[in-house]
Parts: sequence; C-alpha cells; structure tokens
Amino acid sequence: MKTSTLMKSITASFFGAAMLLTGGVAQADYPCKEATFIVPYSPGGGSDQMARRLVPGMEEALGVSVNIVYKTGGGGAVGFSELHRSKADGCTFSNTVVPNVIISSKGDGVGYKPGDFEYIGMTESAAGALMVPLDSEYQTIDAFVAAALENPGMLTVAGTGGSGLSRWNQLEEVLGIETTYVPVGGGVGKMIPMLAGSHIDGAATGSNHGTKHKAIVNTILLAGENPVSTLPGVPTEPDWNYVITWGLMAPPGTPADVVETLNAAMNSAAQSSSVQDALLNGGYVSHNMSVAEVNAFMDGEIAKYAD
Amino acid sequence: MIEAFFMAISPSYLMYMTIGVLLGLVVGTLPGLTATMGTALLVPFTFALPTGEGIAMLGGLYVCAMFSDAIPACLVNTPGTPAAMATGFDGHPMVKQGRGQEAIVAACFASALGTIFGAGCYLLLAWPMVSIALKFGPPQFFWLGVFALTIIGSLAGKSILKGLAGAAIGIIISCIGISHAAEINRFTLNIPELRGGVSLVAGLIGVFAVPQVLSMILDLKKQDYVAEYRPEKGVVIKTIKKVLSAPIHFLRSAVIGSFIGILPGAGSPIAAIVSYNEAIRWSKDKSQYGKGDIRGVTASEIANNAAAPAAMIPLVTLGVPGSAPAAVIAGALMLRGLNPGPELFGSNAALVYSFGWSLLIAGIVVFFIGMLATPLLVKIIKIPLRLLAPLIMFLAIIGAYAIRNNIFDVYLMLIIGIFVFLVRRLGFHPGPIGLGLILGPIIEPSLVQSLYISHAVGVQKVFFSGSVNIILIGLSIFSVSAVALSRFRSKSKPETQ
Repeated sequence: MKTSTLMKSITASFFGAAMLLTGGVAQADYPCKEATFIVPYSPGGGSDQMARRLVPGMEEALGVSVNIVYKTGGGGAVGFSELHRSKADGCTFSNTVVPNVIISSKGDGVGYKPGDFEYIGMTESAAGALMVPLDSEYQTIDAFVAAALENPGMLTVAGTGGSGLSRWNQLEEVLGIETTYVPVGGGVGKMIPMLAGSHIDGAATGSNHGTKHKAIVNTILLAGENPVSTLPGVPTEPDWNYVITWGLMAPPGTPADVVETLNAAMNSAAQSSSVQDALLNGGYVSHNMSVAEVNAFMDGEIAKYAD
Repeated sequence: MIEAFFMAISPSYLMYMTIGVLLGLVVGTLPGLTATMGTALLVPFTFALPTGEGIAMLGGLYVCAMFSDAIPACLVNTPGTPAAMATGFDGHPMVKQGRGQEAIVAACFASALGTIFGAGCYLLLAWPMVSIALKFGPPQFFWLGVFALTIIGSLAGKSILKGLAGAAIGIIISCIGISHAAEINRFTLNIPELRGGVSLVAGLIGVFAVPQVLSMILDLKKQDYVAEYRPEKGVVIKTIKKVLSAPIHFLRSAVIGSFIGILPGAGSPIAAIVSYNEAIRWSKDKSQYGKGDIRGVTASEIANNAAAPAAMIPLVTLGVPGSAPAAVIAGALMLRGLNPGPELFGSNAALVYSFGWSLLIAGIVVFFIGMLATPLLVKIIKIPLRLLAPLIMFLAIIGAYAIRNNIFDVYLMLIIGIFVFLVRRLGFHPGPIGLGLILGPIIEPSLVQSLYISHAVGVQKVFFSGSVNIILIGLSIFSVSAVALSRFRSKSKPETQ
C-alpha cells in the first residue's frame, strides 16, 4: 500500500509539473500556445544566461510559457540552422549572436544566410576581450605582443569555433603578430578551464566572460574605444572593432506583426530593473532597439563582415 | 561548515530536496529524460524558493536520476540516462537470472554510497581536487578517452576485432553533423536535419532499446516474460552485506567516479565506464563480468553517483560546471544574481557548504526512497513480453522525441536500432557501439584542439609529456596488453566446455 501511494504521488507531482509548464492562456496578439526558445550554445553559457534572464519577463508579456531548448555545436551553426528550418509562425525563436551568426553562415553548406532571418531585436553587447591565465608570463598586452613577435606562431589562443578565428585574425593584423588559433566548440564554458590550467596562452572572447571569471583569469586587452566598468584599468584597442551583440531572431518569413509582438515582449523583459542590474554587473552594455533599428543594425554588420 | 549542516537539515531544505529526489526517480527511470533535462525543466519552479532550498531540490533530482537510470538498464537493458550504460552490462544478466531485486537493491545502495563519497569530496577536498583537474587540457582529455576505449577488451565478447569495429561505428555516428571545431558538415548526406548531429540520448536508445524490443518479439514463442520474478526474503540485507564486503572495490569506484566527475566535460557516463573497466582489471575472478556479476553493477553505480556531487566542485571553485546538469544549476544561481565560483565561495560559503550537505543527505534519501520503490519497480518484469515490448517501444519513441522535440531523432533512433539489431546477429556487441557514441564527443574535439596546439609547440610536447599524459598512456598500454595476454592464454588453453 505504502509504495503504491508513493508512486501515485510521484506521478502526480510529475504531471503537475508538466501541466504547470504547458499552462497559461495565450494572449490574443501572440498566436502561439507556447513558445520555443532555441539556445545555440551550451547550458550555462552567455546565451543561456541571456535566455533565462529574458524568459520570465517574456512569458509575462506574451502570456504563454517559453521553453528553452539547447541546440549546440559548430560555433552556434547547429542552432541557427535549426531555427532556419523551423516553422515561421513566431512560436520558435532563438538567440542571435552577432557576428557569430554572420561568420558561421560562411561555413560549408550550413544552410542559412544571415540576411534570411527575421531579427526581433538586440538586448545587450560586450566588447571583445583577450584573456590570459592568472599566472601567465604575459600580464600586459605589451608583454604578450613582445612574446608573440619573438616566437611567431608559438603562442596559442583559443576562440569559439570558426567565428572566433576571423575576429582573432583581425586583432593579429592590428597588433602585427602571428599566433596559433585553437577552436573550442560549444561556448566559452569549455575554454575557461583550459585557460585556468594554462593549456593555452590566451583566449579571445567577450568582456562579459572576462568579468564573470575575473577571479581566475586576467583580461589584458579590450576591443573598441570605451573601457568596461567591471574591468577597470584594462587597455582598449580602438582598431579591434570586435563587439559581440546578443538579441533574438525568428525563422525567415515570420509575419511582421508577430515579430513586432516579440520585439515588444523582449524589450519589456530586458528593460526590467533586475535584467538591467544583471547586465551592468556582468560587464555588458544594454540596448533597446525597435525592429526597424535592428534591421538597420544587421545590414551594417552584414556589410562589415562581407568578404 | 557546521552552520551549513544545520541549514541543510532544516525541514524546508529536507522537504524540497526530497521532492527533487522523487522527481529524479521518475526522470532517471524514463529513458530519454536525462538529469540535464530534468533539472532544466525544474529550474523555473525553484525560483519560487529561497536559493538554498532551490539548488538543494535540483541537486536531489540530479543524484537520484543517477540511481534511477539503473532501473531500466537492469530490467529491460535500456539505460535511463547515458550514465547507466555500464550498469546494464551486468545488471540485465542478473535480472535474467531472476536476481532482479538484488540488482536494483545493489544499484540503489551503491548509488547512495557513491553520492555520499562524492559529496564528502565536495565538502572536504574541493580545492586540492580542482587543482589536479586543471592539469587536464585537450591532450589529457584525448588520452582519457582512449583509456576509456580500452574497455572494449572486456566488452567485445568473442571477437576483439568486432568490438573495435563497433566502437569505430559508434565514434563515426557521433561525428555526424557540423563539426565542433570549425563549421564543416560531416556525413550529413545533404539531409539538413543531420547537421545537428545524432543526439546521444536518441542514439543510445536506438543502440539498446530497439534491438531489445526486436529480440523480445522474436522470442515471443519461446518465452512469455523477460525473466522469472522470484521475490526473496532478506534479499535487501544480503545484498547490502555483499556490497559492504568489498571495501576496496567501493573505494576504487568512488575515487574514480569523484575524480572523473570533477573534470569539466567528462561526467558520469565516462566515470561509470572507467570504473567498470577497472573493477574487472582488479578482480581476481573476472569470469562472471558481463554475465551478471553484482560488482559490475556497483562499480558503475558508485562511480556515476560519486561523479554527480563532484561535478559541482569545479562549479563552486572555478565557476566552471563539471557536467551538463551542473551547468543548469549554475544557470539557476546566476539568474539569482549569484556568481558561482571563487566569488560565491568567499561571499556566501554557508550556501556553498549547505549545498554539499544537501547532496550528501540526498544520497541517504535516495537509498530509502529506492528501497520503498524497488519492490514495485521490479514488478515491471512481471509484465508479459507481448505487453512489455510495445511499452518499451513507446517509451523509446517518446524519449527520443522529447530530448530535442524532434521527430527526426525518432527516425534516427529506429534506423540505428535496426542496424544494431542486425549486426548483433553477426556477433557485434551493442556495448562498444554505445561506448563510441559516448566517447566520440570527448575524443574528437580534444584531438583536434591538441593538434592545433601541437602546431605551435610540437606533437611530442603536447601528447607525450607531462605526468598526466604519461600515466594515461601507460594505463592504456597496460590495459590493452592485459587483454591481449588473457585472450592469448584462453586461446591456448583447450576448450573445457
């Protein structure tokens, strides 16, 4: 008797949880019973964080539950191509990371072009950051450059997949150095222990990661002109025009009115004080773009990375 | 730490952790619902709770799923999560011999012990252990994967060549899709759905569940049940005594599990495989492994459970999760504005330690709940085959679909399943194919990254220097030659049967 009541309570709690997850009443202007949020990078990474920050506010604004699914691999290409193939009804959308979505589309047969997607909006950006292990011999960018000049190709720098390569190549050109690039798939999460254990000499990612892992890695250079408040005293390189911007996008052909609804929901979620605090403490710059603004922004970015 | 202990035994912590354990029982038992998915589904609900209770609930789910995945692995030879693959190698033969209850009790008790050991490491040895874990970079992960592959020697059955071929097939299947290092399509045959690769969970369900169902159907005329069900009085005490009578076996499995659990990216499945392999190597009587040796079940379950709390160690020390469910828990913390890692350890040590205590207590709760549920769960084998076969098939399809909400994964699972069913008739064991599926995603990216690094500093320095590399290479050579030697000996001996 005891065990059967136990099983019943297990099943009941499980189904209860399932019902809560799928519950909620759809609002009139959002045509879906629930939404699927594709995260193209590993759980716990920057995109996952962004998704989880936005989901509560978006659920409230849209009136439906938003379920996160992870489609990782190929520097985001797996998730982006999955979104590209998804039904264009606005019920499925994904993170977009610029320039990853542009650079990854140049891969062999990935099946999407960055211009194909319907961009919903951009919420935040981070500056490119060069990080080294805490106990690295090269604690300043000058020391790093000097070492790279002395031994061309001998320093190893990790980045995210093939997208990371082109942004690293750009800094190599600016600094006039030659290093060996090590591609790491599935987000920055896997790169940090490689760096902390000094298996690589440096890693090129974003100021958000430099901020989050301040205690175990040192950021020695930031891209762009503006310093980042969470990384005081780190020099900037204006000619390294690498900014990572996060936002949302929908499959090609998603109706314009649904994109507008999603834009409004996303912005209202992103402008809440808790999200804004998280962005400020995390080393990000926050954005609030309309659909027209995001399209103009994307046109510019796509042109920037055109061969 | 004492203060943290009293936090962890407060009624609200215990209650939510126990709810987590109950959910973990369901999540682990159903193939396709993994600990990662279970924790990810649960995260939104934990926001209604204070942080400590919330993560205790997630931790409870995680460690219990690492036990309950053994239930389908033993009863119907289908691991509930990838971590239970090695459990089934001996667990299922035990069930076939009518020792179903013994197998589940052993798995449950072993899981509880493993969890307690892993949580003990978390509470006492977090910092020293993580400094060793940092010695693992791409080349070390590559050699760890190679070392784990040597288990083929014990799995392959009669033909070692077929074992190797099976693992190669598994690794090739794991390489399908857009490569991790660069955006290159591999083996996708221009089918867009294949770009995302074959999901490990759907692949393993295909490798284990589908051939199982197909052979059940073929056997329908010969037998009506998976195995006989013989409830035995006192089996619980007897089994616990059996497990406790092998302290060295326990210690070895627990140390392997905790250590591999701490390596970011390796996790419970690899821990279980390596532990199972080592159990065989260090046993005097190896003849019963794969045929229903209780030590096979406990080796796998102790290790995969010890790996679960251990996977939290790099999270709280470095801010880097050691496994996918740990990453979900990290996400849950960060959304509360907490930054897991050295910062949180410094600012809120009570929270970090109370989580460790909760995991430890969860190990005990898993045991009692497992004991309550076992008599009921074992009755699954009392279901006649003609009902059980479609039931497993139904769960397999749901599981393959649920992991990515994609019907294509169901087709892939069926294709892989039929393929494995056919090659099994040719003498291939499904174990090596599943092994290849699990190890491919560890070996391949780490090999590629190591090759890039060796471009800068040289192949010799990257692959063949450093103490960890040398130890892993030495263990791999030792493992292969031991297998070769024992095979040579058994061949030169005249057949006695």
